Amino acid sequence: MKGFDLTAVTCGYQQVTALRSLTLGIPPGTRVALVGANGSGKSTLLRLLDGLVFPDAGEVRFGGDLLTEERFGEDTFAYSFRRSVGLVFQDPDAQLFNPTVFDEVAFGPLQLAWDKREIAARVDETLERLLIPHLRDRVPQRLSTGEQKRVALASVLVMDPEVLLLDEPTAGLDPRSQSQVIDLLVGWAGGAKTIVTATHDLAMIDDIADRCVVLQGGEVAADRPPADVLCDLELLRDANLVHSHRHGHGHGHGHSHPHLHD
Amino acid sequence: MKRSGRSYFERTLDGLVAGIDRTRAAERHAEDGGLLQRVDPRVKVGGLLALVVAAAFARNHLTLVGLLAVAVAGALLSRLPLGLLVGRVWLGTVLLTAAIALPALFLTPGDPAWRLPVAGWAVSWQGLRTVSYLLLRVVTAATLTFLLVFTTPWAHVLKALRVFRVPVVAVVILGMTYRYILLLLESAHAMFEARRSRTVGRLSPGDRRRLATAGVGVLLDRSIRLSGNVYDAMQARGFRGEVHVLDEFQMRGRDWLALAGFAVFTAAAAWAGR
Amino acid sequence: MHIPDGYLSPSTCAVLYAGAAPFWYVALSRVRRRLHTRVVPLISLFAAFSFVAMMFNIPLPGGTTGHAVGVGISAVVLGPWASVLAVSVALVIQALFFGDGGITAVGANGFNMAVAGSFVAWGVYRLAAGGSPLTSTRRVAAAGIAGYAAINVAALLTAIEFGIQPMLFLDASGAPLYCPYPLGIAVPAMMAGHLTVAGMAELVVTAGVVAFLQRTDPSLLTTSAGVRGTTGSPRTLRPLWVGLGVLMVLAPLGLLAAGTAWGEWAASDFADEAARKEIAAASLNQPPPPAPPQGLARLSSIWTAPWPDYAPPFVRSAAFGYFLSAVFGVGLVILASACIGRVLGAGLRPPDKAGA
Repeated sequence: MKGFDLTAVTCGYQQVTALRSLTLGIPPGTRVALVGANGSGKSTLLRLLDGLVFPDAGEVRFGGDLLTEERFGEDTFAYSFRRSVGLVFQDPDAQLFNPTVFDEVAFGPLQLAWDKREIAARVDETLERLLIPHLRDRVPQRLSTGEQKRVALASVLVMDPEVLLLDEPTAGLDPRSQSQVIDLLVGWAGGAKTIVTATHDLAMIDDIADRCVVLQGGEVAADRPPADVLCDLELLRDANLVHSHRHGHGHGHGHSHPHLHD
Repeated sequence: MKRSGRSYFERTLDGLVAGIDRTRAAERHAEDGGLLQRVDPRVKVGGLLALVVAAAFARNHLTLVGLLAVAVAGALLSRLPLGLLVGRVWLGTVLLTAAIALPALFLTPGDPAWRLPVAGWAVSWQGLRTVSYLLLRVVTAATLTFLLVFTTPWAHVLKALRVFRVPVVAVVILGMTYRYILLLLESAHAMFEARRSRTVGRLSPGDRRRLATAGVGVLLDRSIRLSGNVYDAMQARGFRGEVHVLDEFQMRGRDWLALAGFAVFTAAAAWAGR
Repeated sequence: MHIPDGYLSPSTCAVLYAGAAPFWYVALSRVRRRLHTRVVPLISLFAAFSFVAMMFNIPLPGGTTGHAVGVGISAVVLGPWASVLAVSVALVIQALFFGDGGITAVGANGFNMAVAGSFVAWGVYRLAAGGSPLTSTRRVAAAGIAGYAAINVAALLTAIEFGIQPMLFLDASGAPLYCPYPLGIAVPAMMAGHLTVAGMAELVVTAGVVAFLQRTDPSLLTTSAGVRGTTGSPRTLRPLWVGLGVLMVLAPLGLLAAGTAWGEWAASDFADEAARKEIAAASLNQPPPPAPPQGLARLSSIWTAPWPDYAPPFVRSAAFGYFLSAVFGVGLVILASACIGRVLGAGLRPPDKAGA
């Protein structure tokens, strides 16, 4: 199993510097929650980990291998990496670009040139595991957000990656779907795989992660167990993850305490 | 909804809604258990296309009527309601063709069949023949196309095009385009609805023009950004420049039967229509 | 402008499919070579975008509304080859799934709108924009003109394809089997609508979107702004020659025309009874004059083509003779163009610019 090592990584796009000289290590088998307000660099970091963008300065290594554009030009390296690391995108419209759910889940294995009969079997098995076999021939456009999230997960899990990267997995979901996704992640992980979840939903980080990395302004503001981070109000406020304002609890007098709004 | 005095918004929205509705209806009927739904998509694509070509070649009315009858029979056997066929497919096509072809009744040179009472313009026999050819051909082709699309999930229609040696790249692009047409139709719909709810009174033509181009611009912006994200998502799952599709089609007994049926009808039409 | 089924004869449809096919082939090859870039989803999304944008009502000066086709903006942003694909894809989906345009006419519509439209739009845009900066007003105007020109060229091609139908394809009683309007009616009728309404709609949309892009993301306009390699190496253009070859093989279909094509009569035909009937039938039943017009008689004796009536005497089969003539004719045209190109010189190649 392999882990990630980022050393002094600076990465930007369109005149915006998303990450500044960031150093971070993610050992294999750990579950990390990446939290930060919008614009803190979470998505960019995930893309760096998945070899979709490359740093302007610094290094990103996976299991010791340096991730560069040239490296991804090599077939063997690219295929082995794409199989080992899976990224679930935030926007289901970007993630689900195939005509049917079956085609969507089969896309990854097809690109990896698996045997066609094996692909069909694996796809059905994955759909079963995610409790959506009835969606097999449906059009992604017509599914509910919760169903789309499951299909997106299936399309990545079908390849059985050892690293799972998730970008805001519960964004836009109703509470029941949210808890279903969380249950899934907690159950599947089993401690044997590496999971990095980018989220601004503080309510779930305690369940899904052993370690919480707080990003602020493109840098690591903190790297501690979730319970610790959740108690550190000052940190959370600085990172723009919570706010205080006055409100009433129905007694007629107001007070304020830090909390989240979604 | 009033027909007259519809606002600019309503007209555009209606068009978008019609597009969305048609795709939904097609998907629904394609999942029904009728005759053609159960036939292999490749046989349907090849067979129905052959019939459309036969209709194009036909040189007499009898053949065209025969082909139309076969198409209608296919529709009924596939549980496609006649009302759907007439209302959705025939009405628009006939009206449009009639509008275009009407002058031809008078303009086509030939032996006069009838004269208009006041103006004295002559309708020629040849004019009548020509207009009837046009109408029959257009309606027959439209019915056969309708049959294909309403009895086959569109993903299968596109994959079945491979039987005509259409390259995989084209099939993938076609599939992705259709998928995103649905998305953009709904985006555009939402955009216009939101704009309509904020608009009081009528818009000036200049305003409407600006609205239309702004709408087009926003749609384009969204499309291009989405395409970048889609590309990332494709790459993340191993796409490296070679496209592949998984084709699960297998010919069974009834598919061979259907193929034979199509062949017989096409041959008959080709012979009768020569 | 979408041609439905039934308006064009099968042979016309086949020839136009054969005409569009080489362009599709070359466009796909170029896309395949660039698949490692973002081209596949970009083409799909652009096709989807133009499909939906086509549905917008564009209010025009004068109180009418029109619809744009999107070929203008497609060519400006994607360049001609990718635009051929994007517009063709939109056309196929319109024909198959939305009943707009016939399936037998996909080749014709593709040739008129996707191929001719894209190249005309791209060429006019390049010519009119020159080397002006990406965010200049001149580019907006150039884009508008390019869209306008593209639509009208496509409409003209459509009108010609319509107009030749009643000359060539009639049933036994003389009734046209397909489009009943001859050139004299088809061309003015189609051009009137497109020179005014449809062309204006395309102009408005193409110019408007380019202006929008200039403000939001000018990098998208670099594709057609003087890009190297747009003319393609000789190898990639080979399918075009193949296509030309196919067209020449299909040229004998011209022989399917019942008799002689309109206007191509010899002076002797005016005396021959059968030929006179033919001339009358093809000219809206106006009987030809008893003797050939004097000018025709004089001129026709000046030049006797080496291969009168297209069939070299030593060839027995009419079809083969026609084919040989087509080959020879095309060869002459190609030779002439090559010579002219050489004479005009190599200085016309666009400057190499980085990007895209």
